[in-house]
Amino acid sequence: MTASAEATASKTVSVRDIYLPPERKKVAGGGVPHVSAKNFSIYYGEFEAVKKVSADIPSKYVTAIIGPSGCGKSTFLRSINRMNDLIPNSHTTGSLMFDGQDVYSKFTDEVLLRKKIGMVFQKPNPFPKSIFDNIAYGPRLHGIRDRKTLADIVEKSLRKAALWDEVCDRLDKNALGMSGGQQQRLCFARTLAVEPEILLLDEPTSALDPRATAKIEDLIQELRGSYTIMIVTHNMQQASRVSDNTMFFYEGTLVEFAPTAQLFTNPKNSMTEDYITGRFS
Amino acid sequence: MQASSLQNCNVMNGDGNATEGRSSAFVVSARKRKLQQITRTAGESTLFLIAAFVAVIVLFIFYFVARDAVPFFEIRGFREFFTDTRWYPADEPPVFGALSIIYGSLMVTVGSALIAIPMGVAAAICLSDVLPFSVRQYVKPVIEMLAAIPSVAFGFFALVIFAPMLQNHGGSILMWSWWIMATPLILLMIVVGAELVSSRIEDDRRRKVAQRVLLVVMGALALLILILVGFRLRSIEIMTGTNALNVSIILSFMALPTIVSVAEDALQAVGRDLREGSYALGATRAETIIKTILPAASSGILAGVILGIMRALGETMVVWMASGNSAHIPEPWYNYLDSVRTLTATIAGDMGEADQVTGSARFHVLFAMGLLLLVISFVSNFISERIVVRQRKILSGQ
Amino acid sequence: MNLGTRKLLDRSFTALGISSIVIMGLMLLVVLVPIVSNGIGAIVFKSTIEHRKMLYHEFNRGDKADLQREIASSDASRKEIYRMLDTFDAELSKMDETRQQEYREKFEQVKNSLRALLGPIPGDEEPALARLKYGQTRWEKAEEKLHELLFEKKWDYSNPDEMAKEYEVSRSASFEGTSLVRLFPYVEKNIDRLLQPEWTFYWGFITDSSVDAHFFGGIWPEIQGTLFLAVGAMLFAFPLGVIGAIYFTEYARDGFLTSLLRSANSTLAGVPSIVFGLFGLTFFINTLKVSESKSVLAGSLTLAIMILPTIIRSSEEAILAVPKTYKEASLGLGSTKWNTIIKVILPAALPGILTGGVLSLGRAAGETAPIIFTAAVSVGSAIGLADVLSSPTPALSWNIYNLASEHEAAAEIRHVQYGMVLALMTIVTLLNMSAIVLRARISKKLKG
Repeated sequence: MTASAEATASKTVSVRDIYLPPERKKVAGGGVPHVSAKNFSIYYGEFEAVKKVSADIPSKYVTAIIGPSGCGKSTFLRSINRMNDLIPNSHTTGSLMFDGQDVYSKFTDEVLLRKKIGMVFQKPNPFPKSIFDNIAYGPRLHGIRDRKTLADIVEKSLRKAALWDEVCDRLDKNALGMSGGQQQRLCFARTLAVEPEILLLDEPTSALDPRATAKIEDLIQELRGSYTIMIVTHNMQQASRVSDNTMFFYEGTLVEFAPTAQLFTNPKNSMTEDYITGRFS
Repeated sequence: MQASSLQNCNVMNGDGNATEGRSSAFVVSARKRKLQQITRTAGESTLFLIAAFVAVIVLFIFYFVARDAVPFFEIRGFREFFTDTRWYPADEPPVFGALSIIYGSLMVTVGSALIAIPMGVAAAICLSDVLPFSVRQYVKPVIEMLAAIPSVAFGFFALVIFAPMLQNHGGSILMWSWWIMATPLILLMIVVGAELVSSRIEDDRRRKVAQRVLLVVMGALALLILILVGFRLRSIEIMTGTNALNVSIILSFMALPTIVSVAEDALQAVGRDLREGSYALGATRAETIIKTILPAASSGILAGVILGIMRALGETMVVWMASGNSAHIPEPWYNYLDSVRTLTATIAGDMGEADQVTGSARFHVLFAMGLLLLVISFVSNFISERIVVRQRKILSGQ
Repeated sequence: MNLGTRKLLDRSFTALGISSIVIMGLMLLVVLVPIVSNGIGAIVFKSTIEHRKMLYHEFNRGDKADLQREIASSDASRKEIYRMLDTFDAELSKMDETRQQEYREKFEQVKNSLRALLGPIPGDEEPALARLKYGQTRWEKAEEKLHELLFEKKWDYSNPDEMAKEYEVSRSASFEGTSLVRLFPYVEKNIDRLLQPEWTFYWGFITDSSVDAHFFGGIWPEIQGTLFLAVGAMLFAFPLGVIGAIYFTEYARDGFLTSLLRSANSTLAGVPSIVFGLFGLTFFINTLKVSESKSVLAGSLTLAIMILPTIIRSSEEAILAVPKTYKEASLGLGSTKWNTIIKVILPAALPGILTGGVLSLGRAAGETAPIIFTAAVSVGSAIGLADVLSSPTPALSWNIYNLASEHEAAAEIRHVQYGMVLALMTIVTLLNMSAIVLRARISKKLKG
């Protein structure tokens, strides 16, 4: 089984193999890969958490990453904006390109990189500040001081995150006073405020109730087409609902990468089939 | 009640026997049950009494120190103690003005806080966010060692080693420490200042030129200031090595371990989520710490700072040995190179001379000082506890 | 702010943090190095023949024949000095009145310097104080005294605007033209034979009592007093603290009363140590009258109150660290709550509890302020175990203060002070280290 997995992995899964819905073709800019990995491995010390992944992630599509716990899907996601740098002893081999530039090159500035690649985490993590300050945090970091401009950005981001109507009258209240779902949408708004090109979503709904989850999924649908979105999820229904393409990871290896509809209905790999039919998790 | 009582009786049969229909073995007679309950209540109350012993001691300390402090205020009133700067307890008639002594305590406490707070917070940040784990392992014992050194050893160091050093080479010590500490800070200020001022200029080339000019001008100015202040400091002659500066420095190092460990706990308590959230928005480490982590941990850090400062205020041996013990307000009031006298040192030093038997004002005034210290420590402890509770509430979003 | 500036700020921020840690480390070194190096000097030093004489007479230690041989060879050289003194004395009485007066005073100075260096001059009355019976016992001190013999200290008051300056005048110059002028080069040249220095390892510094207010001898009474006080404090505080911690972790319900008790605990932890001393004086001695005046018992009780909050807190942490599953497993097997605590929770928490206890022991040993009014005396011999209820004791921490600040000749016995500081720090460090070892040992044993 592992041998077949490796055989799949060693072959680059190219964007051209991936189903592109015709109505998106123009937005997708012809499907130029936005992020592309080649023999990309991530190590924690000696342990190889992600093994020689090669894949091209298309621009302005939603790509879901699924797989059992500990399969390296989160690690892979977090390596794209170099959040793994925060973990001591981690290092990478192979190449990971973003917009044609090497993410792990010596000259990469992770601050600029993270400005372009936003991230939303598993647990809502608003700063213990007011709603306004939470969203203005990023723009302020990147040098916007003017109150009027900031207010515009805050409103625009909150609207994009479908949160404006709920909070427009209490922007100066502490963000921790909001409900979990609102907090998570605030985190979306906060990320959108720095105008990233890619949104990395690390199980963004796993800490939320079903209603809040539905709202977040609606939000992802809204953002689809304007951003390249990568979402790690445990929930296969969610993956099938929100994503265009899906990657399946198993024990650090990318087993299968295909258009979502195809992967869920007609998986090429038997392991994928086992997983999506619930034979192991 | 029912659920917890189950824990206490001996269940002899398994579940299987209970279903057989006859009375199960875990039902015991009412008398036995009552006996059990009484034993348990008695045991628990004994434990409670022992735990309450601490509270009793706190009450006792307040009561007994106050009991011996009140006679002083009865004899001499409040005014003299708090407003007079003259401390002549042995004169005829005696004067018990404690203001200069209170001021001395305040002075060394503030002095040590000025050194310990920035250093302690910086070190705590360094420990929690900057140093890798492998280095942290070696730094922590250093801080623990610093905390384990007995206060009298610090006092001995201050009196026998540090004071003569200050007295003989005070000027050059001041100069060098000024140079070592101020140079990097001023350099940083220049670079950032030049950057900030020039960033308003739109044109790229003109901005670069302006930046260079600013760097050169400000650099020259700073160099001048550094050198002038340095030589000015070197010309200072320290008349006595046992002074407020000496004590402040030593006390700050005694307060540091408390500040560092409490502040580090507070920083750790903020958690990884917030850090990641900030990094993911493209913040540098310094920005993450200053704009997110420090505000979130501020109350915990404040609590640590209060505890550390209390340690400096309540410390006896170092100030007794190395503050010079002269009860006067330094001239001018901020002169840290003058000798001072503190509340703790006065209590320790004057008790031997005070007439304990007759219950004179001279004996009771020391308890009045003790009461003052006790009240200050109680209030600051209360405040720091409130602060910690508040932080917990803020972090949990209430 | 552009990216470059932000990066620069980031880096300098890091540097700031690291430098503050480096300063802390340096400070630790600055404090430790002189204390350790000088403290070792109290035990390992170059001793003179006077030290061996002192040991023989005061502690009856050393080989008599050896000592006599040494004394004989030293006395052979000393005789010459005393002969010179006699010659000069005779010469002095022949001088005219004014010159005699001028020289008489200087001659007395010389004789005093010689007494300090070599001990009493033959013909002196037998001195009462031990410090006057012997010359310099330590070589580095002897060198200082030799310098004082060779050079006279004077003050230059010529500039009234500044502090007077110190300068030295050679004594041989001031005795120019008299017979005594030969004395100075003679002493300087023969100092090795006069004092016979050799490296000594003086264990007695730790095990001997002091002679004549710490001029000679060791610090055993202080070490013993410190141990008595600290162990006594533990005897009271440890059981109370552990039981209190059991109540707080296993029985206390969340409520007003519990939070009150908890804040009482932290209040007690924040009370300045000198206030504990005041409380010990007014409560244990003046009110409860546990002893007539200062005693080890009163001091131990005071220290016990001081370390109680620490013991409660560390025991609480240790108990809370025991996995919940242990407790549940024990209760699930039908054990009573109390049995569970005694047989399951406490053994598992023991390493943590003991570690906290040993650390508190170290703190009690190092503390000074609480025992000033309750237990410590400056001079005294070691007390027996039977006397702890009624007698005060010398203790390391208090005697360090006392010798450094209030001793009449503090500068003469710096080595004793350093030795005491080192001894105290060694005790505290050993306790801390044994706490660490203990924790490792027991937790290993528990894991099997």
